[in-house]
Amino acid sequence: MKYLYVGGLGREADREAMARIRERAAAEFPVPVREIELPGVEFAYDPGRGQYRSIEVLEMLAATCPADAYKLLGVTERDLFIPVLTFVYGQAQLDGRVAVVSMARLRQEYYGLPENREVFLERVLKEAMHETGHAFGLVHCADGDCAMSLSTNIRQIDRKRAAFCAACEGRLRRGSGE
Amino acid sequence: MKTHWHILVVDDEEVMCESLAAWLREDGYSVDTASSGREAVEKAAQRDYAIYFVDLKMPGGLDGIETMMQIRRLHPEASIIIITAYATVDTAITAMKEGAQEYIVKPCNPEEISLLVSRIIKVKNLQRENTILRKKLLRHYCVQDIISKNPRMHEILQLCHEVSSLRSTVLIQGESGTGKEMIARAIHNAGDRASKPFVAVSCAALAETLLESELFGYEKGSFTGAAQRKAGKFEMADGGTIFLDEIGDISAKLQVDLLRVLQDRAFYRVGGSEEVRVDVRVVAATHVNLQEAVAEGKFRDDLFYRLNVIEIRLPALRERREDVPLLAQHFLERLSHELGKDVREISEGALKLLMDHNWPGNVRELENAVERAMVTSRGKTLEEEDFAFLTQNGASSKVPKFPAGMSLQDMERQLIVVTLERTGGNIKEASIVLGIDRSTLYEKIKKYEIPR
Repeated sequence: MKYLYVGGLGREADREAMARIRERAAAEFPVPVREIELPGVEFAYDPGRGQYRSIEVLEMLAATCPADAYKLLGVTERDLFIPVLTFVYGQAQLDGRVAVVSMARLRQEYYGLPENREVFLERVLKEAMHETGHAFGLVHCADGDCAMSLSTNIRQIDRKRAAFCAACEGRLRRGSGE
Repeated sequence: MKTHWHILVVDDEEVMCESLAAWLREDGYSVDTASSGREAVEKAAQRDYAIYFVDLKMPGGLDGIETMMQIRRLHPEASIIIITAYATVDTAITAMKEGAQEYIVKPCNPEEISLLVSRIIKVKNLQRENTILRKKLLRHYCVQDIISKNPRMHEILQLCHEVSSLRSTVLIQGESGTGKEMIARAIHNAGDRASKPFVAVSCAALAETLLESELFGYEKGSFTGAAQRKAGKFEMADGGTIFLDEIGDISAKLQVDLLRVLQDRAFYRVGGSEEVRVDVRVVAATHVNLQEAVAEGKFRDDLFYRLNVIEIRLPALRERREDVPLLAQHFLERLSHELGKDVREISEGALKLLMDHNWPGNVRELENAVERAMVTSRGKTLEEEDFAFLTQNGASSKVPKFPAGMSLQDMERQLIVVTLERTGGNIKEASIVLGIDRSTLYEKIKKYEIPR
C-alpha cells in the first residue's frame, strides 16, 4: 500500500490547517493519506531575497520521502521563491513525488487586513490541492473554478474552489494525469 | 491545446533555467532548456519554438542579444523574451531594436510572465488558424489541383494560368456542376490578385432591386430599411476579383449598369451621387448559351462582347468520361477524411457503372453520389450496389425505356437521344453504334428536332 503523506515543514506549521489539508486530500485523491513530521526549511534561506528557495525545499522533500510514499506534500509558513519569480505560492515536481505549499501569502494579515481564519484555511486547502494535483500529473486547468486553475495573485485563489473539475478529477482517477 | 506549443528557456544558470521551465510545464507547455546561446541556436535550428526566453547575460560565446539575432535569422517571426537581472534603459532599447518581443527583469511577478505568455500564445494560435484556413482555401482552388486527364481540360487549365495575372474579363460557360466557380477561384488564386478578396455573387439568387444594391451598395436612406451606407460586392472586391455567377439571368437594367462598370471601372451606389472607382477583375459565368440569348435579344450584345474577352467553355462530365474514375477516387479520399469513414477504393463494377452514367448534374452530382454511397456503405470498398440509387432514380440513361403503346418513331427518337448522350454528342461514334451512316443520323436528328 502506498500513501499520500502530508506534513508541516517544521513545528511552526499551523496545526489546524494541516489537519484540514489531510481531511480534504483524503476526499480528493485516490490514495490513503498519512501524517508525517518534516524538518524546517531554514537551510533554504536566501539572505539576498529574504525568502526561501523552493527548489531546495523540493530536493529535501524528495530525499526524505518515505519508501511507501506515493506522493509527499510539505507545507511551510515561510515565503518561497524561484529565481525568475518574485515568489511562488507553491511548487511541485510535475508528475513526480513531491510538492510544497507556502502559507506565507495566504493570510489576510500579509495584505494589511484583519485576520480571517476561514479565508486563510480555505486558501491553504486550494493551494494544497493544486500543488498535489501537479504531483499527480495535472497541469493548469482552463476552468477558473477548478483547483488546478493557475493563480498568480490572491484574487485568483479566492475565485477558485478547493476541489477539482470533472475533467481533472477524471484524469486523477485514471491516474494518467494526461 | 498548450502541449502543441514548445517553449525554449535559455540561461547559463541551471537553477534559473530549470525553475522557469518547470513553472511553464505546470501550465501545460512543452519546454526545452539550453544552457548557452550556442546550444539554443542549435535547438532552434531543429525546431521553431513558440516562445524563446533568453537570458541577456551569458558568459563566453554568445550573449543574449547575439543569441536572439541568430535565432531570428533562423525564424524571423520568433517571439523572443529577453530576461535580465540588470535593467537599464540602454539594454532594453538594444533588445527591442534587435527584435525582442518583450523584456522582463528578474525576479518578475508571476502574473506578469503568465499574462505575457498567454498573450503571445493567443496570437500564435490565431496566426496558426489563419495559416491553416488560407492553405485549406488555396488547396481547394489551385489550378494544379483541378483533376483531369482530358486534353480539353488541360488546354483550359493552361489558359487559366496564362490569363491569371491579366485584368481582362473572363466568361466561363458550362452546364451546372461543371466547376465554373472553381475555375474562377483558380484563376484568382494563380494571379497577382491572390492575396486580395475573391467575392462571389449568384445573380440568379436575388431579385433585380436586391441584386443592384448587393452589387453596388447603397447610401443611407436610399430606400426603406437603408439605415446606413453599405458597400456593395464591387467595393468589397476592390483589388481582387468579383465572380458573377449566372450572369445570363440579370435584368436589362442591370445589364446596362454592368456594362458601365466594365467600361469605366466606376459606378454609383444605389441612391448615391458620388462616383465610386474600383480596380476589380470580373469573371462571369453562365449555364445558358449567351450567344443564343444575344441572338434572341435577351442579352445585350455590347455587354456580351465586354464579358467575353477571354472565353472558357467547360465540358460536361459526360464529355470527359475518362475523368470519372480519377474524380471519384479524389472525392473518396477527401470524403473518407471528412466523414471519418475508412473507405479506400471503388470496385471495378461500381466504376463501370459510374462511367456509364450520364451525369446531368456533372462533377457536383458525381461528388454527391460518392458521398451518398460512402455514407450508406459498410465495407472498405464501394460496390455497385452502393450506387444503386443512380439507376433507381432513373437518372441514368444507360437503358432507354420503351413502354407498350409507344410509337416506333418515338422509340427511334429516344434511342438516338440516349446514344448521343452516351457518345457525348459525337455523331460519328453514335452512327456506328446505331448502325446507320452519318448523313442518315443527321437527317433523323433534324427530323426529330433533337437538341444538340
